[in-house]
Amino acid sequence: MKLYQRTIRDLHQMLVDREISSVELTDAVLSQIDAVGDTTKAYLLVTRELALRQAQAADERLRANRDVRPLTGIPIALKDVLCVRDVVSTAGSKILRGFTPPYSATVVERLEGEGAVFLGKTNCDEFAMGSSNENSGYWPVRNPWSLDRVPGGSSGGSAAAVASGEAIAALGSDTGGSIRQPAALTGIVGLKPTYGRVSRYGLIAFASSLDQIGPMTRDVVDGALLLQAIAGHDPSDSTSSLRPVPDYLATLTDGVKGMRLGVPKEYFVAGMEPAVEQSIRDAIRLLEQQGASIEEVSLPHSDVALPAYYIIAPAEASSNLARYDGTRYGFQAGGGRNLIEEYMLTRQQGFGAEVKRRIMLGTYALSSGYYDAYYLQAQKVRTLIIEDFKQAFKKVDALLGATSPTAAFELGAKTQDPVAMYLNDIITIPANLGNVCGISVPCGLVDGLPIGLQVIAPGFGEAAALRVAYAFEAATQFHKARSPLMGAAA
Amino acid sequence: MPEPESELSSRQVEHVARLARLGITPEEVTRYRDQLRNILHHIEALNRADTSKVPATAHPLEERNVMREDRREPSLPAEAALRNAPSREDSYFKVKAIQE
Repeated sequence: MKLYQRTIRDLHQMLVDREISSVELTDAVLSQIDAVGDTTKAYLLVTRELALRQAQAADERLRANRDVRPLTGIPIALKDVLCVRDVVSTAGSKILRGFTPPYSATVVERLEGEGAVFLGKTNCDEFAMGSSNENSGYWPVRNPWSLDRVPGGSSGGSAAAVASGEAIAALGSDTGGSIRQPAALTGIVGLKPTYGRVSRYGLIAFASSLDQIGPMTRDVVDGALLLQAIAGHDPSDSTSSLRPVPDYLATLTDGVKGMRLGVPKEYFVAGMEPAVEQSIRDAIRLLEQQGASIEEVSLPHSDVALPAYYIIAPAEASSNLARYDGTRYGFQAGGGRNLIEEYMLTRQQGFGAEVKRRIMLGTYALSSGYYDAYYLQAQKVRTLIIEDFKQAFKKVDALLGATSPTAAFELGAKTQDPVAMYLNDIITIPANLGNVCGISVPCGLVDGLPIGLQVIAPGFGEAAALRVAYAFEAATQFHKARSPLMGAAA
Repeated sequence: MPEPESELSSRQVEHVARLARLGITPEEVTRYRDQLRNILHHIEALNRADTSKVPATAHPLEERNVMREDRREPSLPAEAALRNAPSREDSYFKVKAIQE
């Protein structure tokens, strides 16, 4: 097996055993980026020199056996919404072209502390707004399984990098499904932690009451390792939780025997591909065979989650993105006759179509005369969605459903119809609004394209979500399938 | 052709774009109006939910009034804060005149 095809856990063992060095490993992954990077377009920036410098430092740490951590020497990709000090960070937007942050995100500092190696910044939908990566201000990403298909979004570059061997693992961010959906569409594992589990400090904001950073990995063990490294309270983010972080590996292999798993009937939505539904039903049966008890549950307000999200997220985005005015950083149009005109020109030329659409939608929903009908009503619906999950989790330990109603679609298939694009996230959005956590784990191929099983657990129940996902993974071979671009595991 | 009152009008789109400080061309006004109308039409489904006795949720936090000790720490050096400025003068961001 090629080094770039392996998992964090395997590579950690090889590094500790001196079978390989981090420099060798990093070279192998950088060579794979050289080989397929122009095909996937997964990266906006490859930080080759930084990666090799960090790999050398990791090797010294490994040689001296000094505080060796699970991620020491492991090459990782970072979604471009994460600030890295002195490394261009644009959130996939032209309005931040060339922006070099004066500080790093807390998750980035944590990974540095672990001795991880940063390969670069991965492409994404502009300001993480999108489900196909076609809203990137730079270029779209291609799905390593089928190059005429999207990788999903918004963390499409991170997903494609992991699925093509251009990274061993990656960080993404998830506001309405942006980790889980691309993970499903590229055949990898993606976890959205509970809001507050991971610090958002240094994450370029989209919707501040929903955004969470999380791991995108080849398997569930790697997901647990990466989450362990980034989870926990951060004094720089007062919305990060004070709850202690459990040892995710300790309960990972406990199995599902005796667990109660719920199947929300509303999650088999209209428009779901029959082959996707069949795979999910098969996955549920498999977990039942593993000893879980399965029962149907109802989340009665699921049908209003999507409309609530498309008020709340754009409303928060419209105020978060007010800061991009060409004054303190980023693009400045020039040529305005006064300050307001300069703002308007800068934002007209700097933002892409979807970002403008959401800024206008959010501004409208918050504007005088419409606030109660839209924003306040959406916030009340959010309460109902939280209550739906609370009721369901009185009866069951975790919920099962599809991650996305379809496998990856063709580039251009939904770009002319914003509503069709929004429907991609119909079964991932409730977890963000409902303040719970969710993981997508590969559960099959439909016409050669991967799909994902979503496991949703209560707030701060990441250990339970990982445990169910691991039990499924351990009983199946789906996560071992490799994209044509990554190559067969010999 | 006059537009129905209940639907988002071109004038409203222009107003919202101005509130959001977004320059917008006449063609974009029409395109965004039609797209936003379609999106808002789907969002009308929100009214299916009975929220008459439901409080609003603005954020999901358990913690309230997060406080920390007030202590002196070094802040970002001015040079670092100004490094990305498109226009600057000395240690200031430089902007266009607010009034002509």
